[in-house]
Amino acid sequence: MGLNIVVLDPAHGGTDLGARGTEGIRESEVVLQFTTQVKRALEGQGFQVLLTRDGNENPSFDDRSARANAQRGAVFITLHIASTGLAGTARTYVLQEVPPSTDLTGLIPWDRAQEPFAVLSHKLGDFVQGELAKRFKGSPPTAQVAPVRQLRTIAAPAIAVEISSVSVEARGDLDRMVPGVAEAIAHGVAAFRPSYVVPVMPGTAPPAGVQP
Amino acid sequence: MSGKWRIWLAGGLLAAVIAAALYFPALRHQVDVAKQLTEKTAEQARRELLPPTPVTSGDPKVKAKIYWGSSGADGSLVPVTVELPLSSDPAMRAKQILNTLLAGPVDPEARTLPPDAALLAFYLLPDGTAVADFSEAFATSTPSGIQSEELAVDSITSTLEANVPQVQRLKILIHGQEVDTLAGHLDLTQTFPVSMKGAPAAHTKSPVSAITAPIRKAIDKVKGATKQ
Repeated sequence: MGLNIVVLDPAHGGTDLGARGTEGIRESEVVLQFTTQVKRALEGQGFQVLLTRDGNENPSFDDRSARANAQRGAVFITLHIASTGLAGTARTYVLQEVPPSTDLTGLIPWDRAQEPFAVLSHKLGDFVQGELAKRFKGSPPTAQVAPVRQLRTIAAPAIAVEISSVSVEARGDLDRMVPGVAEAIAHGVAAFRPSYVVPVMPGTAPPAGVQP
Repeated sequence: MSGKWRIWLAGGLLAAVIAAALYFPALRHQVDVAKQLTEKTAEQARRELLPPTPVTSGDPKVKAKIYWGSSGADGSLVPVTVELPLSSDPAMRAKQILNTLLAGPVDPEARTLPPDAALLAFYLLPDGTAVADFSEAFATSTPSGIQSEELAVDSITSTLEANVPQVQRLKILIHGQEVDTLAGHLDLTQTFPVSMKGAPAAHTKSPVSAITAPIRKAIDKVKGATKQ
C-alpha cells in the first residue's frame, strides 16, 4: 500500500488559543492559515488531504488521533506556532524510537500507537526538516526528538512542525513564512513517499505485497 | 378561593419570581468569588504546611551545575556553576537544587521555569524514580509551545542529572495531579529519563517510560498529601 493521504492537524482551537503573542497573535488562528496553504501545496503533489479541524473547534488529542488512525496509507502532521525560538525558524519534532509494545492479543495499545511507526516518523521528519532548513536560515538540519503528546496516539508516521513564533513584532513576519513552510512540507512528504511501507506489527503477518 | 385572593396569590408568586431572577446573578457571583478564595486559600495553606527546604550550615558547600537557558533564543541550555550548601541526602539535595533552579539566574531572560512556580513535594523511590510535584503556576505560566515546554523540563532533568546521580527518571505532577501535558504540548503522562540508566533501552535521552507500580504508589502518596 502506498502513501496517498496526509492528515493535517491545526493545533489547539476553540477556547484553547495555544501560544499568544504580545501583538494579539493567537496560535490557534495562525495555524489555520498555515494549514490552508500546506493543504494546497500537498494537493499539488497529488495527496489527498484531511483536516482534523477547519474552523474554531478544539477536538481532543484522541479525536484528532482517531481521524488519522481511521485512514490507511496516511501520514499525520500537526502544525504549531511557538511562544519562543529564533523568529523565522521552524523545527520538526518526532517521538523517540522505542521497541514496539503489544498486549497479549498482539494489538497495539492506543496510548502507544506511535511506537511501531517511530522509525518511519523519523525518516519523514528528516525529509521535512531538511526542506525547512533550506528555506529558513537558523533552523536545525534534521528532526528533533521530543515527547509531543499529540504524536503518541497516532498509528501512522507522524510529525509535529513548530514555527517561531507568536512573539514576532508583526503578524506579517509570520505570514511571509506561510508559502515556504507549505512548500517545504509538501516537498518533504513527496520525498518520503517512496520510503513509506506499512510496518509489520508484532504477532501479525505482513500485508500482501509489503516487504517486512 | 375568591377572585381577589387569586390575584393576590398570582401577584405574590410573580413578585417572588422577579426577586429570584434579580438575586440569582448576585448569588452566583458570590459563589464564584467564594470558590476562588477557597482555591487560593487551599494553595496558600499547602505552601504554609510544606516545610521549608532546610539548608543547614552543616551542609558542605559544593559546586553545583544549574542548567538555565542560553542568552540566545535557540532554546538551548547552558550549565552555570553555583556554590551551594547541599545535603548528602539525595532527596533533600534534589529539593535544594530544584529550588535554586526555580529561583532563577541573575539574567531573567535565561530563566527556564516561571518565577511564580514552586516545588510542592519531592520523593525519591529506591529504584531511582523521582516524583516532583510542582504548583499550578508551573503549567499555567510556562509559555505554550513544544520548544519552550521541552526547555523547562530539560532544565530540570539536566540539573538533576548533574547534581543528584541517584535520580534516574522523573515523574512530574502538577499540584498533586497527573496531567496530560505541561502547557498543551509536552507529554507529562509518563516519566522522563534523567540519567542514561533511566532511559528506555538502547536509546538517547528523551521520553519516556511507563508508570510502574512503585511510581504509581508514590503518585498516590502525593495525591493523598494534596487532598489533606
